[in-house]
Amino acid sequence: MGSKEEIFARIKAHGVDQVERPEMTFTPLTFPEPLVQFEKILKAVGANYVLLEKGQDVNEAIRKAYPEAKTIASNLPEVTCATVNPDKLDDPRELNGTDVGVIRGEFGVLENGMVWINQHTRYKALFFIAEALVVLLDRNELVNNMHEAYARPDFDDYGYGCFIAGPSKTADIEQALVIGAHGARGVTVILQHPPL
Amino acid sequence: MKLVTNYYIMKIGLFIPCYINAIYPNVGVASYKLLKSLGLDVDYPLDQTCCGQPMANGGFQKDSAKLAERMERLFEKYDYVVGPSASCVVFVKEHYPTLLHKEEHACISSRIFEICEFLHDVVKVEKLNARFPHKVSIHNSCHGERLLHLSSPSELVIPRYSKLKDLLSLVKDVEVFEPKRVDECCGFGGMFAVEEAATSVCMGQDKVHDHMSTGAEYITGADSSCLMHMEGIIRREKLPIKTIHVAEILSNGL
Amino acid sequence: MSSHAKAAKKFIADRERTAWHDQALYFVREKRDKMAHDVSEWEELREMASRMKRHTISNLAYYLDMFERNATANGIHVHWAKDAEEHNRIVYEIIQKHGGKNLVKSKSMLSEECGLTPYLKARGVDAVESDLGERIMQLMGMPPSHIVLPAIHVRREEVGKVFEKELHTEPGNSDPTYLTHAARAALREKFLHADIAMTGVNFAVASSGAFVVCTNEGNADMGTSFPKVHIAIMGLEKVIPDYGALSLYIRLLARSATGQPSTTYTSHYKKPVEGQEMHVVIVDNGRSDILACTEHVNMLKCIRCGSCINTCPVYRRTGGYSYSYFIPGPVGINLGMLKSPEKYSGNVSACSLCYSCSNVCPVKIDLAEQIYKWRQNLAPLHLAAPSKKFMEKGMKFVMEHPGLFYPAIKAGRIAEKMPRFVLYNSLDAWGIGRELPQFAEETFNAMWKKGKMK
Repeated sequence: MGSKEEIFARIKAHGVDQVERPEMTFTPLTFPEPLVQFEKILKAVGANYVLLEKGQDVNEAIRKAYPEAKTIASNLPEVTCATVNPDKLDDPRELNGTDVGVIRGEFGVLENGMVWINQHTRYKALFFIAEALVVLLDRNELVNNMHEAYARPDFDDYGYGCFIAGPSKTADIEQALVIGAHGARGVTVILQHPPL
Repeated sequence: MKLVTNYYIMKIGLFIPCYINAIYPNVGVASYKLLKSLGLDVDYPLDQTCCGQPMANGGFQKDSAKLAERMERLFEKYDYVVGPSASCVVFVKEHYPTLLHKEEHACISSRIFEICEFLHDVVKVEKLNARFPHKVSIHNSCHGERLLHLSSPSELVIPRYSKLKDLLSLVKDVEVFEPKRVDECCGFGGMFAVEEAATSVCMGQDKVHDHMSTGAEYITGADSSCLMHMEGIIRREKLPIKTIHVAEILSNGL
Repeated sequence: MSSHAKAAKKFIADRERTAWHDQALYFVREKRDKMAHDVSEWEELREMASRMKRHTISNLAYYLDMFERNATANGIHVHWAKDAEEHNRIVYEIIQKHGGKNLVKSKSMLSEECGLTPYLKARGVDAVESDLGERIMQLMGMPPSHIVLPAIHVRREEVGKVFEKELHTEPGNSDPTYLTHAARAALREKFLHADIAMTGVNFAVASSGAFVVCTNEGNADMGTSFPKVHIAIMGLEKVIPDYGALSLYIRLLARSATGQPSTTYTSHYKKPVEGQEMHVVIVDNGRSDILACTEHVNMLKCIRCGSCINTCPVYRRTGGYSYSYFIPGPVGINLGMLKSPEKYSGNVSACSLCYSCSNVCPVKIDLAEQIYKWRQNLAPLHLAAPSKKFMEKGMKFVMEHPGLFYPAIKAGRIAEKMPRFVLYNSLDAWGIGRELPQFAEETFNAMWKKGKMK
């Protein structure tokens, strides 16, 4: 008997009474003014919030947010200020030292400031290794809470995906909050109008 | 259930736990006076000892069964059992059905109340003639709060309430405070107090100091056991604060 | 004295440090309260999360099997380990197959439970902890003292000293930002040169065959970004039915654990990228036996947020190392007893039955109630301290006989001491820091008898 069979036999032997899957009996948090809440919660988790006007160029906003940046890595066609297309690199380690990574977010979550990133780059290292991360997000793609987030019909369509809420942080030394543990030291979420 | 009907006055059996009987009889007296002043029929069944909680919390619940049987016999004839100790009351309420192997309705569990709970929820007092011109800090004891629901636990996302505060608001000239850590355990915990003496004392010292920082002259609460533990610390360290059971405040000057 | 009481006494001897430790953890508890109060449906959320776990536990084989099937279809290799030894062997075999030497891992209490790091070290594999707190503890050569905040008991000066020696930071510099960034730089090299990545698993989603890892630092994701092999290890209770269930736990976990609305990174691993191998090791190691303990089966609901530890007034004042099991606090007392009552019964005394843990638990585990039950079971297991048993027996005998109770009080009063039956040989213990209660001139019973109360 293999270990799986042994474990399953034990589970079966100790079987506990069947309990039905519970139904949701409450109304989860919603936010009447999504953009106001999103700005507030992004600040709370340490991220910057930029709301683009119609017609405003995203490259301008990136440059404005990170004027010192020398290397900007992105595979997004509209990010013309990119200096590196990370998909063309042979090894993700080459991304070490990147100043800014620019990626697309699928949707944002109002209750906690998370943005869902579905890996559409060759290397996911980009999301974590860049000193700063810029996430481009459609301003209409905001959900209230995690229930709505996971209920999106296309949610399961990923190989690797990550909710990112602000910059990398730690409080492991005396509970003192330090930004920039291993991942990005800064996160800027740029909200755009949907493409026409 | 109405307390007083035209024909019949509800009989209340006063439950005076062992350590109150021996160390704080004044709390028993205060409870008696308080209930009497509200026109209630109060009796004390003689020769009560202990409800069995200390043994059970220490890990010897089975040994409490005989004590539970004694309690059950002593309080058989009363409509309500009322006691000035949240911890003991909740022990009887929650564990006697198991100890006595009886369904809840057949045992005193369904008729027993802590005195503040009784005044607040059953008698629903709106007026007291007590006066206590002092600053007091409320001690929200763990069993009173988290098991008997005398106040809202700080951990839960529920509307805030405090039955002790409500009752104290009926007392003239008393100023009521609460410590910063509003319901942190004082570290008594029955046998815990001696089994884990160093931790118990440390928790007690922290708690007394938290009460002191409110500027109160008295720590008051519904559990004499917590008060006894803190009093031990206060006396040892000669701290400028005293303990008083809430029943003594509610009955002060009656 | 119990093993915990002994260790606690030592810890508390340094009152200044105790107060600091207590306050650091209470601060986390307060952050948790604030987060919980921002979610008006919090209590209903807890209730549903608790029931969802109960549902999962009652269908454990069904969901585990579903997870395995879907994960396998996604290209993940699924392994089963019945105990710690098998877990370690499986992990090592995967490493060996790839000729791995440098493993970088994110935090996993399961690896701690299985003793994986020393096992690998003995076989020439260097497993580097990448979570800052875990790395601090690894460099100090000590185990974590908390399941979420591994180095919560360590002061910044101590971190500074260890980093000075190991990472060559400036002597005397103990600024948390400076030290964190020094660790960032040093670990960046480890990430780039690792050949095996290891992570724990917070949730395994059966319906999708995906697993979720939550971190604030991004160390799990950074770790899995370069090596060709990713090994994820999980206790079998980590499986949940689907994304509907996951939404509950993601909402509760970080709010309860550290008082954040979410962790910074909530990573979902479903398919290995081209050229990479992904393994999941599902470990039992005693978990399935918990199903047989009706009174303690709720422990399988635990999502390891640590909130019961943070709120525990005993833990806060005694530190993680005062517990003999590797998980401290209420959760550790219970899990330790489920592991081995003989080994870990010395922690059962570390509870004043304040019930705060049961109230903070995001999946509503009856933690304090279970500790109470363990105490009832110590005597039948012959694990109760003999002195305590003796004291209890004497007390019980006297209480059952009022004819003895009242005279005993009288005797006690004359001696100006607690009667021996109440505290017996514990007078000394009570006397640590506390004056003994004084007996009244007359018991209430006597007053009533004399008709003083009419």
